[in-house]
Amino acid sequence: MLVEFELIERARSGDDAAFNQIVQAYRKRILGTIARLIGRPEDVEDVGQEVFLRLYYSLDQLRTSEVFEPWLYRLTVNAAYDYLRRQRRRQESRMSDLSEQQVILADAAAGGKRSEEDQRRTKVRELVQALLGKVSEEDRILLMLKEVEGLSLKELEKIYRVNENALKVRLFRARQRVLKAYETESE
Amino acid sequence: MDRMSEHPVASKLDALWNEYRAACPDSDASAGFMPALWQRIEARRVANISVFRRLVQVCVGATLALTVLMGAILIPRLESALIYNATYVDVLAADHPNTYVDILTGEIR
Repeated sequence: MLVEFELIERARSGDDAAFNQIVQAYRKRILGTIARLIGRPEDVEDVGQEVFLRLYYSLDQLRTSEVFEPWLYRLTVNAAYDYLRRQRRRQESRMSDLSEQQVILADAAAGGKRSEEDQRRTKVRELVQALLGKVSEEDRILLMLKEVEGLSLKELEKIYRVNENALKVRLFRARQRVLKAYETESE
Repeated sequence: MDRMSEHPVASKLDALWNEYRAACPDSDASAGFMPALWQRIEARRVANISVFRRLVQVCVGATLALTVLMGAILIPRLESALIYNATYVDVLAADHPNTYVDILTGEIR
């Protein structure tokens, strides 16, 4: 826990200063998670604000302070889902706006300005985002939380509110789907 | 897909997750993050209040309309009911034609 239970209790009882302290403590971690989940740096703060906004208006529903972190992660996951769903709908409608050549030109122009290390990182990000773009939002977020964020099965159980076995099955299937996509990409 | 052929790709995928984690480090928010967050909280609060206010207005309006409607329907009915056409004294007089009327009018003491 990054904050004391007492601080959460104060925030629950309507203390805005306590809420502010909680946001400041978790902001960096949550924004990092969101950045990796959604893969669009320009929208990270917007989604992050949405998470903390939902937290502010749902703190009174929190049963105990002990479950604060899973609760916050759950809000993060839900906000990321909502964003990705909106984004997928938007992308579908925008696909025809740019020709393939325009996309290649834009990529080349952006690539020319970056350092080699930046380019390698960008390549990794793009590859992972391309792989995750081939599976559902549910698979994408579950895999990210497990493989990239490094959350344990116990933590995931609390976030998803399902038992360990069900979670293992979901993880296995999600992993299989990404592996299949990766194999296709590598060929 | 058999397990043997999956293995090298699986380990490459694990390495890719780690690279991705390193390629997207945690970075703190911009200076405008907190003010914008509080603006959104305030905006939601105002929106919630105005929704509540509108709900109250609708409820009050509906109650008034219902009261007027009930009044318009019930008052003429009650007025036309027989029991209100006579006073209590008239009813008593009708039941006991002699003595009570005399007592009430002061003729019998």
